[in-house]
Amino acid sequence: MFDRALNERQPRLERMQLVALFGLMVLGAAFVYSATMVNESASSGPWYSQSWFRQIVWYALGTGAAAALCCADYHTLTRWSMVVYWFSVLLLAAVLFFGTVRFGARRWFDLGFFSLQPSEFAKLAFILAQAHFLSRPIEELRVVRTFWKAIGMMMLPFVLILKEPDLGSALVLLPTGLAMLFVAGTPRRYLVWLFGSVGILGTIFVLNVLFAPPNWQVKLEDYQRRRLLVYFGREYTPLSGAPKAERERLRKMQFDDSHNVRQALISVGSGGLTGKGWRQGTQNALGYLPRPVAHNDFIFSVIAEERGFVGSVIVLTLYGVVLFTGIKIAGQARDRLGKLMAVGVVTLLFSHVFINIGMNIRIMPVTGVPLPLLSYGGSSVLGSLIAMGLLQNVYIYRKTY
Amino acid sequence: MLFFDQLKKNDPQLRTMAVLVLGGLFVLLAGLWWVQVVSARDYQANLENQSYRTVRIPAVRGRVLDRNGITLAENRPTYNVGLYLEELRKPFEEAYSKKLGYARSELKRQSAAEEKRLHRRLTKEERKRFMLTAKEKGQIRQKARYEVASNVVTQVSYRLRQPLLLNPTNFERHYETRLALPCPVLTNLNPIQIALFEEQSSSRMGVDLEAQSTRYYPYNSTAAHVLGHLQRDDSSMEGEEAFFSFRLPDYRGSVGIEFGFDKQLRGTAGAKSVLVNNAGFRQTENVWSPAEAGENVVLTIDLPIQQAAERELQISGPTTRGAVVVMEVHTGDILAMASSPTFNPNSFLPSLSRAESQRMGELHAEKNRATQENYQPGSIFKTVVGLACLEAGLDQNDTVYNPGYVDIGRKRFHDLALPGAYNFRRALKASSNTYFITNGLHVAGISNIVKLGQRLHLGESTGLQTRQEVKGIFPSLKKVHAQWYDGDTANICIGQGPQAVTPIQMAVMTAAIANGGKVLWPRLVDRIEPAEAAAGMPPIIFPSSRVRDDLGVKQGNLKILREAMLADVEDSDGTGRAAAVPGMRICGKTGTAQVKNEHSQILGHTTWFISFAPYEEPRYVVVVMVEVEARGSGGVTCAPIAKNVYMAIRDRERMGTAKPETVAKAY
Repeated sequence: MFDRALNERQPRLERMQLVALFGLMVLGAAFVYSATMVNESASSGPWYSQSWFRQIVWYALGTGAAAALCCADYHTLTRWSMVVYWFSVLLLAAVLFFGTVRFGARRWFDLGFFSLQPSEFAKLAFILAQAHFLSRPIEELRVVRTFWKAIGMMMLPFVLILKEPDLGSALVLLPTGLAMLFVAGTPRRYLVWLFGSVGILGTIFVLNVLFAPPNWQVKLEDYQRRRLLVYFGREYTPLSGAPKAERERLRKMQFDDSHNVRQALISVGSGGLTGKGWRQGTQNALGYLPRPVAHNDFIFSVIAEERGFVGSVIVLTLYGVVLFTGIKIAGQARDRLGKLMAVGVVTLLFSHVFINIGMNIRIMPVTGVPLPLLSYGGSSVLGSLIAMGLLQNVYIYRKTY
Repeated sequence: MLFFDQLKKNDPQLRTMAVLVLGGLFVLLAGLWWVQVVSARDYQANLENQSYRTVRIPAVRGRVLDRNGITLAENRPTYNVGLYLEELRKPFEEAYSKKLGYARSELKRQSAAEEKRLHRRLTKEERKRFMLTAKEKGQIRQKARYEVASNVVTQVSYRLRQPLLLNPTNFERHYETRLALPCPVLTNLNPIQIALFEEQSSSRMGVDLEAQSTRYYPYNSTAAHVLGHLQRDDSSMEGEEAFFSFRLPDYRGSVGIEFGFDKQLRGTAGAKSVLVNNAGFRQTENVWSPAEAGENVVLTIDLPIQQAAERELQISGPTTRGAVVVMEVHTGDILAMASSPTFNPNSFLPSLSRAESQRMGELHAEKNRATQENYQPGSIFKTVVGLACLEAGLDQNDTVYNPGYVDIGRKRFHDLALPGAYNFRRALKASSNTYFITNGLHVAGISNIVKLGQRLHLGESTGLQTRQEVKGIFPSLKKVHAQWYDGDTANICIGQGPQAVTPIQMAVMTAAIANGGKVLWPRLVDRIEPAEAAAGMPPIIFPSSRVRDDLGVKQGNLKILREAMLADVEDSDGTGRAAAVPGMRICGKTGTAQVKNEHSQILGHTTWFISFAPYEEPRYVVVVMVEVEARGSGGVTCAPIAKNVYMAIRDRERMGTAKPETVAKAY
């Protein structure tokens, strides 16, 4: 379907990556099916309104969008990058006022048939704009102002997404932006300074959340603080001398809050080496793995339970292929713009994969970061496929003619 | 690697990135390896822990049969109506959301009224008062599910045409602790109710019948003491899975055969696992080890004789305290073992009522008087003393003059036998104290009497496994050689003093006299059969005629004793003449022992009659013991009972081994 636009002398697509992406989509459809077709009420509706089918529709739409993107050289696309960037920032601002609230966060525009999550697209817009911005001559990057501008471009969507609040989506912007700065050739001392300060701030932040007395703590949403406490295995500390009932309440709350992580771990762990078989997993079917998240944020638990370690390795391998072909594309890109775009996309993808799978095995805190292409969700699937389209675009137009 | 070849010429930044990505993927891989391969077992255990509930299923208890295969204890299915909560989950949710809606709109109305009153919008803080707290929501949820369940129960109530109420506390407790099991609504339905319930099977949302096996004793109090009774006990037996989330009601024998053969009767409990979802509702069930029914215990008891023995024992009222033992002379098989007052073992299930418990407590009804109480033998012990004398060389024709008393040391022993000269036969049938004390002291000597008693294993258990036995009391040789006076010997000679026996021991003793000196182990259980006869497992048979000891006395002396015992019943001056049955030659000996308290006041008498028949070819031993408070004696109280038992035995013999059912009906 990409061929139509291609010129004879143009090289072909990065086929291996396409195969891996196709594999991920097959897995995604299969396990969204498995995760949602467990109870009668879910499977009683017409087939076209069921999650797995909608997911396939999104795959088709996303592939179409990616193909469309490949029709034009990425240089042409990046001319619009600042427009796209500001438009996405506008959307992010708008969602804070007009978005619908779900699970205590205002992240979606309800469009009836589909709820749009602007942060998914803002990530891509940021990559485009940042790549465009950093692709200027390398000498200009040595200017401090340029560096600060780049940081500012990153921080604007970061703060807006954090405000929704969606800590996970905001956090993935940081490695993406940093990787792009790094690859673009920003002087080392800036980077060291940046890493250092981000690191120190991060450490202070975490220590503050974990250990500071209540009135010294950074202002955080209560559930965010609790998630961090759960992640670091800390007890919810009541005020000293709190009554027993209060302590009991906190202990129960902690147990409830760590429920998702605990159940995800049990799912993954009980899968063992080879898993229980497709649609044979009990954690999801019995509702221990919370139904609302099983098919999106925790889809990896379902795969790992039903397909075991073997399935996990297959998933990691597919992502590995996509990531390394992405790095290869970055290496073969025609210019720094293409390279930076590729690096941005690869880092974004990697961050998602690492945070999401990491949270399933408790090496990362629970944040609402979807697993690209496997998690159910239109915005995420569309965003991921468009990102892949950008990668392919860089590959297709890697030679100057 | 493929990618690195192409990166070689390129900048180091990309290579750094590739290394970082690779490192990240390896971290994930290692983490997954740790979780899914190394600690998989732990997580699988966790999973089972949270999503399976194990339920212990008691096995169907084996039956207890009499020697002809008549069922004395069996199981009947009982039916309960249970509420299957998992089927009501949806109605619970619907009712909850409906109620929640009402509650919310009511609060909204209130807050609107409040705003109107204040002429301003409420602040965020103020609005909190009009919001439902988690606790209130929980209460609404609880109320909603109770209403749903209660409605279902009302439907059942209509169907069964019987008012039913669902106790909110019980329901809530069941919901909290036993959600995976059906909640009982009505237990033990009668056949009409079952029919009514089954009739309208169309709208049985969330309710169904559960069958349960319940112990039943078709002859009620018959052989109650032999059978024993059950008590509620759901715990695991040895060698069984010890941990269950839930246990279905089970019972354990606490006394009698139900206790002694509990292991065999009980069978092997099964287990099922119930898969539950995150809310604790049942999803599926899987029986992983089916219960194995218990084995049947076949007794040596003959139901018609047992019934006759009980009937005759209680001839002067159900509060008669006494026992009857009927035993086969050559085999030691116990054909009947009756004890009075008695009880109905059915009344223990499901639990004993307070009134019945009180009645049984006052009457000591649970005590099996045939085995469980020490009684002084009185004159029936003169058989042993007489035998010891004959063995020691006493000529049966030698006479002793009885002046109506005998003085031993400073103590005078009265003799109810008329004054005169007594030989062995006359002394036994008149039960002369003087004769047996004199000969016991001077001919046999206490050592020989004790030795004979020891060969009869007096003072020892007879080995019935019913948890109802006392050993009796009998002096040892060591004891009679130190601090022992002639007065003590004299007491022993007339069955008083430091000795006590049980009716079952006396039956063994009488059988030994009748069968030529074999001291037998009494036998109560004939065999244990597998529940399904066709299962191919051979029954475990307990051999009969197990000889425990031999009296080691001359057959001639036994013959003299038997003749004297025959005379006791057949001669017109015999104390046991009331036991005579026409056409059946019965040998017997009466006995009456005083029951005194610590101040030597006479509280009552233990009256005895030991006997065997027929004289020519002894087959049956009948021992009767009755405790009387007022005046009474073995000849007056017990001999007529023995007579009637013998008549029943005679009738039973005529009937032969006809079909057990007809036999049972005939009585």
